[in-house]
Amino acid sequence: MAEPRTVVIDPVTRIEGHAKITLHLDEQGRVDDARFHVTQFRGFEKFCEGRPFAEMPSLMARICGICPVSHLIASAKACDALLAVKIPPTADKLRRIFGMAQVVQSHALSLFHLSSPDLLLGMDTDPAKSNLFGVLERDPQLARDGIALRKFGQQIIERLGGKRIHPAWVVPGGVSDPLSQPDRDAILNSIPDALAIAVRSLRWLKNRMEHFREEIACFGNFPSLFMGTVKDDGGLTFYDGALRLVDASGRIVANGLDPRRYLEFLGEKVEPWSYLKSAYYKPKGFPEGIYRVGPLARLNVSDRCGTPRADQELAEFHELQRSAVLSSFHYHQARLIEILYCIERLDELLHDPEILSKQVRAWARPNALEGVGAAEAPRGTLFHHYKVDEQGLVRWCNLIIATGQNNLAMNRSVLQVAQHYVRGEKLTAGMLNRVEAVIRAYDPCLSCSTHALGQMALNIQLLGPDGVLLDEIAR
Amino acid sequence: MKQVLVIAYGNPLRSDDGIAWQAAEALRRKLCNQVRVTCVHQLTPELAEDVALADMVIFLDASSNAEPGRVACRAIFASPGESDFSHHFAPAETLDLCRRLYFAEPRAFLVSISGKSFRHGQELSPAVLHAVPEVVAQVSKLIEHLRRESRTPYHPRLAPGATSVL
Repeated sequence: MAEPRTVVIDPVTRIEGHAKITLHLDEQGRVDDARFHVTQFRGFEKFCEGRPFAEMPSLMARICGICPVSHLIASAKACDALLAVKIPPTADKLRRIFGMAQVVQSHALSLFHLSSPDLLLGMDTDPAKSNLFGVLERDPQLARDGIALRKFGQQIIERLGGKRIHPAWVVPGGVSDPLSQPDRDAILNSIPDALAIAVRSLRWLKNRMEHFREEIACFGNFPSLFMGTVKDDGGLTFYDGALRLVDASGRIVANGLDPRRYLEFLGEKVEPWSYLKSAYYKPKGFPEGIYRVGPLARLNVSDRCGTPRADQELAEFHELQRSAVLSSFHYHQARLIEILYCIERLDELLHDPEILSKQVRAWARPNALEGVGAAEAPRGTLFHHYKVDEQGLVRWCNLIIATGQNNLAMNRSVLQVAQHYVRGEKLTAGMLNRVEAVIRAYDPCLSCSTHALGQMALNIQLLGPDGVLLDEIAR
Repeated sequence: MKQVLVIAYGNPLRSDDGIAWQAAEALRRKLCNQVRVTCVHQLTPELAEDVALADMVIFLDASSNAEPGRVACRAIFASPGESDFSHHFAPAETLDLCRRLYFAEPRAFLVSISGKSFRHGQELSPAVLHAVPEVVAQVSKLIEHLRRESRTPYHPRLAPGATSVL
């Protein structure tokens, strides 16, 4: 009988940020345990202490280069609470447009640039070909569509906010500038093409599903809670609403939860082997209170999208399983449905007669010492919670990032995939790519730094208990 | 009318790495009707579509391999690069993506301004800042060159590896 061994995948490729995975093998060579380690330390909650709260949206946007708009919005909402203001209706609509543009570009990056190599070329493809250029060779139209969709979202952000990354346009009390008619018209003109791409991309993805039946069955396919923000009518929303949790059967467990009171029902646990905290639903305790957020969760908790094409797709999506849709492989399809919804909703908002109004900001001095802002980022629910002193200086800050709320689920998913695919003393690139691919399905945003597509240096070693090298894969 | 796209890339929070953005602003003011200017932190695949629509594309960037403030201009051509690693997309790879996806090969140049300091900060070194007018002058010459080409019979493309057209 062999000794227990450990397989280390470092780094995990084609994700946003830095992480590694360890797989612990028992004496029979089967995966006994698995861990997803986030290896970055950011420190935002600490170094913003002492800063004027009005700086927080711009500071917090620097958390990420992929989803800065989400942090801008959640932070600005926390600051709105500190000012105790209700922002003008046009500012509300413009923030929604801004947030949805980001959802489109972020989801497009995840699907087309990071995951489409697996979905198009297969999980066992030579890693050197598993990238955008490999996709380009096999299906140039798919590559063009991904670029066009990402550009569509980025250009809206640039028109509204002045630049694509870290725009400073969302501010406490509203937004800093109104939308101009030329910009509004230019965005409207770009919507038909974006809509066509979203529709054909969904068709393409659904046609690919039959090639991944085995992966669908074991990619994070386990019972858990799902959490997301919904409107009063149970509809999908990214900007404002109450929190809803459903269980694996699709039954509503909690509804109408005020995001500002998140500490009453969400807890965070620190694990010694990762810088990413694990969030859990307090009434169920840890770790039974495991829940998922993001596209899969939002579509599980939402009764409807509220736009015609997206509603059709949502109805079909809900038919995938009799219960809530459990397999994390379906995050990909959920992402495309959300892209479709966002494009349809952008069209509606941009035709609103008030959208060009110049009244876009409410002004006030600080009127409260504590504020919480919540919004749906591309990856899930995001919370910004600030406490300030009488001078408006931040004294305490707590952030619950979407990806942290998926941490327990990602770990469990890695274990499930590894137990299904990793065997004995022989490692194959396909085995390990599947372990990485389940992480990609969640589209974690671990930092703003890295979106490598393909050939990062990667070394995987299988070591015996005495350090003897048993097997190795390197690229 | 010939379309000219200027792509300035770099990090304006890393001192002289932001010189391309500064130069881009000067170009916007001086040549607003003649060029389309875009500023980005790094080159990404999304730029390939913009490049495809241009007759000429000029990349602006900071470099660190010469005397601070020195401006160098060279023609560049589509090339797949040594690795398929989009985190370090170079101008030649952007052109290669443009050619493979959109079947377009615009004239392309890289104008580099040599920097001195790349530490955290927003201030530019004096020598680097003083190079901005020369960047504007060189880009103006490239545009004028393009205009003359469109009014005269065909000229052969620059040979690969040409270090300056001025």
